Amino acid sequence: MLPEWMSGADDYTPEKGGGTFAVRTIKSLGAVMSSLRVQRGHEKARAVPAWIKIILLLAGITALSIARSPLVLMGAAALLLGYLCLWPARDIASVLRPALAAAALAAVLFLPAVLVDRALMPNSLRVIAKVALSVIMVNIFNHTTQWNHITAGLRRLHVPGIIVFSIDITLRYIVMLGRLICDLLTSYTMRAVGKKRGSYGSVGGVMGVAFLRGSQLSSETYEAMRCRCFTDDYKGL
Amino acid sequence: MHIPENYLSPVTCAVMGAAMVPVWVHAVKKVKEELPAEKISMIGVGAALSFLGMMFNVPLVGGTTGHAVGGTLIALLFGPNAACIAVSIALLLQAVLFGDGGVLAFGANCFNMAFVLPYLGWAVYRLIVKTASGDKSAGMGRQLLGAAVGSYIGLNAAALCAAVEFGLQPLLFKDAAGLALYCPYDLSIAIPAMMIPHLAVAGLIEAAFTVAVYAFVKKTSPDLIYSPETPQAAPVRKSRVPLFALVAVLTAATPLGLLAAGTAWGEWGTDEIAGVAEGGSALGYTPAGMENGWELSAPMPDYSLEGVGEVLAYILSAVIGVALLIILFKLLSLALAGRNTKRPEV
Repeated sequence: MLPEWMSGADDYTPEKGGGTFAVRTIKSLGAVMSSLRVQRGHEKARAVPAWIKIILLLAGITALSIARSPLVLMGAAALLLGYLCLWPARDIASVLRPALAAAALAAVLFLPAVLVDRALMPNSLRVIAKVALSVIMVNIFNHTTQWNHITAGLRRLHVPGIIVFSIDITLRYIVMLGRLICDLLTSYTMRAVGKKRGSYGSVGGVMGVAFLRGSQLSSETYEAMRCRCFTDDYKGL
Repeated sequence: MHIPENYLSPVTCAVMGAAMVPVWVHAVKKVKEELPAEKISMIGVGAALSFLGMMFNVPLVGGTTGHAVGGTLIALLFGPNAACIAVSIALLLQAVLFGDGGVLAFGANCFNMAFVLPYLGWAVYRLIVKTASGDKSAGMGRQLLGAAVGSYIGLNAAALCAAVEFGLQPLLFKDAAGLALYCPYDLSIAIPAMMIPHLAVAGLIEAAFTVAVYAFVKKTSPDLIYSPETPQAAPVRKSRVPLFALVAVLTAATPLGLLAAGTAWGEWGTDEIAGVAEGGSALGYTPAGMENGWELSAPMPDYSLEGVGEVLAYILSAVIGVALLIILFKLLSLALAGRNTKRPEV
């Protein structure tokens, strides 16, 4: 004989919104991780050295920012788009998408000012164009340069060793800790069906565990470095 | 709060970047003294955590989400100097990797989020914890209160700095016709626009996030948390003098920025007429045109570029047009190819 509660129909529907924050965070983390781990760029074998590219990028963005003549903007646009149109379509898309997003955001931000005072139109349009071109420039740089070459370039430009070392470590930890956070959040969503409360607590727990794991990894890194004759001198790295 | 490229004038960016150099030098030096060598790679952990913390979509009232910066949290866990380097590195990666925040505006972004935020948040936390109890060990509740208030004030101070940087642009950088060259909103608009959402929403998220993580780490492994008492008490106390000197230098450097801005503005005065003519002609442009349409119309009235400018602009717009067409067709073929490959799978 079955007990009554087992034979009756269940009308349980989970509340909406439970654990959605975790799902959203997993999604945004996943997007970042995939772009970090699968660097889809195409750096040629005989490319310009990264440190020259860094200088060129800074010079280009500065020149674009200072320039007031529309001709300079047009020249930059012609140069960048002309270079870009030689690329494979997939790479063009990944360079243009953030640029268009940044330009759209700038357009939304500048819209009220232009509506209030129509005379602000040319300057606002110029800023929007500059935003798009700058983001295209940064993306082209990022797309054609591997990360280890960028850090090597920074070292060449006499950025302190401790900073370059930290940048390298950071990139690695973003991937490792990001994967850990994804796993933790996945297990959280699986257990928090329909649960609305306790989101803040779980954020604290997830980040806290990531912190503990990170400090453990960092001490392991240090031990491994000591085993390979590291002498606490970040200059020679 | 990430300031994108070209919202701030290059002069402002240069001044902010120059202001950050002594901060970075100080932070690197102090970190080497304060942190034992085996903890240096913790800076990388801090930067990674700060980067990942910004990805967390913390739930808000009404189903929306927002994200925290976590600068104060990093300062509480690793110390303010390590936090300064860590947040700077996280910002650098965001600027170069994801176009989030400008490369030129990097100095300004670092000033707001890697200098003002962690140092002020840390100072407020210390103040609350210290005044609470004369002895070293303040109660857990008091510490969490310090973390909450410190992170709230730190974030809002950073937002205020960003608002002031935005708001100064139209006051300092105008073309000859008096129109804003960069961000068009002055202080009276920029400050409320930035501060209201930060005071009401973002600051609370930051405080909740900081308290949640801090409480967890404090409960599970309190020995990992940075405290100036544990390594060596004396050098830390000494270190306040350079910090004050730094603040003094920065305060003194602020009018320098205005001065630099003034000379730049004077330089620009030479092409007054061009600016006026541009302002007048721009009203007649047709928005339906391609993005090069307005650029083409703009150089025409500029008398100094007549002749040469017209031909050059024509050639440039032809190049832009051809390049855009090629890009468009390539993207179109990519979209079509994507649909074709998907169909057999479904």
